[in-house]
Amino acid sequence: MGLFDRLVVILTKLVSFTSTLLGLGAGETWPGEVALMLRPNIATSLSERLSDGVILVAGTNGKTTTSLMVKTILEHIGDSVVHNATGANLINGVVSSFIRNADWLGRVRADVGIFEIDENSLPVILRYMTPKRVILLNLFRDQLDRYGEVDVIVEKWIRALSSLPKETVFILNSDDPAVAFIGTSVKGKAVYYGLNDAGKYLAVREHATDSTFCPSCGRRLTYRGVYYSHIGVWKCTGCSFTRPDPTVNRWPSTLPGLYNQYNTLAAVALAKSLGIPESAIKKSLQSFAPAFGRQEEIESAGKTVKLFLSKNPAGFNASLRTVLDMGAKELLFVLNDRIPDGRDVSWIWDVDFETVPASATVLVSGDRAYDMALRLKYASPAGREPQVFTDLSLAFMHARERNTHEPLYVLATYSAMLEARKILKGRKIL
Amino acid sequence: MKKSIRIAWLYPDLMSTYGDRGNVIVLERRSSWRGVRADIVPVTLETPVSVLESCGLIFMGGAQDRQQKLAGEDFLKRKGPVVKKMVESNIPALFVCAAYQFVGRYYKPYQGDIIPGAGIFDLTTEHPGDQAKRLIGNVRAEIVNPHVLAGTVIVGFENHGGRTHLGPKMKPLAKVISGNGNNGDDGWEGVIYKNAIGSYFHGPLLPKNPAIADWLLEKALGTLAPLSDTLERKANESVR
Repeated sequence: MGLFDRLVVILTKLVSFTSTLLGLGAGETWPGEVALMLRPNIATSLSERLSDGVILVAGTNGKTTTSLMVKTILEHIGDSVVHNATGANLINGVVSSFIRNADWLGRVRADVGIFEIDENSLPVILRYMTPKRVILLNLFRDQLDRYGEVDVIVEKWIRALSSLPKETVFILNSDDPAVAFIGTSVKGKAVYYGLNDAGKYLAVREHATDSTFCPSCGRRLTYRGVYYSHIGVWKCTGCSFTRPDPTVNRWPSTLPGLYNQYNTLAAVALAKSLGIPESAIKKSLQSFAPAFGRQEEIESAGKTVKLFLSKNPAGFNASLRTVLDMGAKELLFVLNDRIPDGRDVSWIWDVDFETVPASATVLVSGDRAYDMALRLKYASPAGREPQVFTDLSLAFMHARERNTHEPLYVLATYSAMLEARKILKGRKIL
Repeated sequence: MKKSIRIAWLYPDLMSTYGDRGNVIVLERRSSWRGVRADIVPVTLETPVSVLESCGLIFMGGAQDRQQKLAGEDFLKRKGPVVKKMVESNIPALFVCAAYQFVGRYYKPYQGDIIPGAGIFDLTTEHPGDQAKRLIGNVRAEIVNPHVLAGTVIVGFENHGGRTHLGPKMKPLAKVISGNGNNGDDGWEGVIYKNAIGSYFHGPLLPKNPAIADWLLEKALGTLAPLSDTLERKANESVR
């Protein structure tokens, strides 16, 4: 790492530090943005300072939870980790995390980097750094207006990942056909994780399915069983492409929800690939706490509120199934259509709200509260309409005043989740 | 009024990109709330055309490129000609997003060969080149055809690169208030021909525009009792 790079790190660190002192916030992305302007290749020299290399985590759902689990495991065995903040998953967020981690002489202190990477940014990041491990979780439809189609992302990923050297090990979800397919075109070793548990198959297939056609030949896939969305035990009816046998397929999850089972398996598969003993993995994950808005529990004036970030059809279906399994009787759905949420709210029609029992109390809010209310009306055979609160704080007030001792389960899109936490905690924290 | 209806949903596994299901849910519920039994009939690659022919209403939605290719081959060869015959004999139909382009005469990509359409509507779509901006965002438009619905404001979300122009015998569905519509130039959105409607409002067109849902259902069933659409109206008005 050259002297100039270090000066850039010191400079941006100083500006970020001053900005924090002035109460303007440290910024999760702009220090990196400034550094990149001064030194376009700074991400390369920064990552080369990491003696234990870089681990990248990509996929539509579960990036934050999985990368935090990996961080927890590595820190438990004494590694010093640099990790990008939730949502700051473009290259500027990655560089910002290095700047935050560096000492005042501009030296990177960590020995390993764990970065969650936005779907579109994965090829960009790979131009700057060669990861030691790549975890690919899943690919679902998410904000078509921003990300484009799943097939297009798969193509971009394959092009970028196939150029990585054979030393890079891939941790891949065997149960997502598109992710498993990527394993066939990379040079490095692929370690597959997945579930072998017929007891968890869905009785009725959910609607929001993307990948029911073979990523290799385009013919229809058949499933021995589906766990959720298009995740399951699959094989192609046309060619010989079949679900790889997952070597990591069993691990007790400390968080509710099948999707967290997968996040856990991904983190465990990664840890095992690094030779970390099972006992150490087990111990480190025992007290794992969920990330921002991911099954967070907040006490608000005597009411227990449970938050579930739910930002696309697959994620929303997974959250919904989890809260209904947890016996939810009071539900609040908050739908915003700001840039981080995606401007297009059409996807709510791919969520199976039909599973919400008629006995549940349902409240809706958000910028597009009426769209959500309409979706729920049409999910109900009787056309029952939920209570609409255009003001989110009034929805919480109403829930508290019901005085039922039932927890309120909140499923919200990204910016709606920020707003909910701000109201409940009186401040905005990521 | 008829007491039952079979609604064909063309390629639900291939052409259902983003909430397209909302349309069939709305048609089903708005029938059953009036005591009419509606059966949603999935019509996909393997489905024989006789099943399609047994239906009294048709819906077809959007698709990703790869899936569209699969569905396209089947539609051009097998289902398309049947749908054309049904539309000509006044069967109500709704084509949104990719399906809207697909039932036209052709789609001309900015590179590569012209992709022939099913020619059910006299309209053509051309992609103006990779430098042209994609038309993405909320749209508000005022219905001009059919006349019984003229003045009704419809809302939706558009996301398309291709620009569609209507042939001389085609009537536009609506005049754009905000957003782009068919091509961003002539101010029209969608098309109506006989009892069939095409629109760039992708995914769930019908939930916030129940007037169109009821118009389609009435063409199949006869006059229907009105429903309370207060929530629908509020959702419609909340789109800016």
